[in-house]
Amino acid sequence: MWFFIFAELLVFGIFFLAYAFARARNVELFNASQLQLDRLSGAINTALLVTSSYFVVRAVERIHHGAARACAYWLAAAMACGGAFLLLKLGELGAKMEADISMSTNTFFMFYIGLGFFHFMHVVLGMVILGAVALKAWRGGYSAAEHTGVETGASYWHMVDLVWIVLFPLIYVLR
Amino acid sequence: MKGATFLWLLLLALTALTMQSAALAAAGLSAGMLVMLVLVVTLAKGYIVIDHFMALHQVNGAWRWIVPGWLLLVLGLIGYAFNLNPT
Repeated sequence: MWFFIFAELLVFGIFFLAYAFARARNVELFNASQLQLDRLSGAINTALLVTSSYFVVRAVERIHHGAARACAYWLAAAMACGGAFLLLKLGELGAKMEADISMSTNTFFMFYIGLGFFHFMHVVLGMVILGAVALKAWRGGYSAAEHTGVETGASYWHMVDLVWIVLFPLIYVLR
Repeated sequence: MKGATFLWLLLLALTALTMQSAALAAAGLSAGMLVMLVLVVTLAKGYIVIDHFMALHQVNGAWRWIVPGWLLLVLGLIGYAFNLNPT
């Protein structure tokens, strides 16, 4: 899983730098377009992902003590935060579509929608992984002695959170 | 778990600080300083997630530094790119 995580970080890193250097050649366009974003929505989404990461930490701590059911509950809470993130992001993207904004509007929105959708799909995959881990935990498939799957799923979810922690200030805040 | 709860609250507080950057700009902070501030706050948030939530502080050797190295490199180059043509 760690090689997969490193590869994901490498890809996101390249996209982030592509955005930053593309912006350096179109500062006025990027700054003007950025004003059309809902920064509060981005901040709420950051709080949701950070909170979900904390819930995952709690889940890992519980399974270290052999409390598999409690582990599953914390993972479900993390997934609920992930679901709220997706709903908010869909609302944000829907509002842009209603305003006739698409990837072809300009370079800024190509990055905003492209990177947002790419990360969105990672949140979906992360939720699938957490769901599978939670189900196995609920069924007693993990214990204090054997819980590699919980830690692996947790690492992936923290990676999804980490990427958003960089993506949010880069696209919504820095100007 | 008290440590993790404190770090979670710290992450939320740092997110709120990032949101206040517009107010700091209005208060007269230069664009370059603002970029630096936001990137340092992002570095701190990322490091908390990497070192404590991902638990990489428990790992020995070079493996521990790959993800923090990625974060530092990406944020450093973003800072460089934003200072190529500051507003």
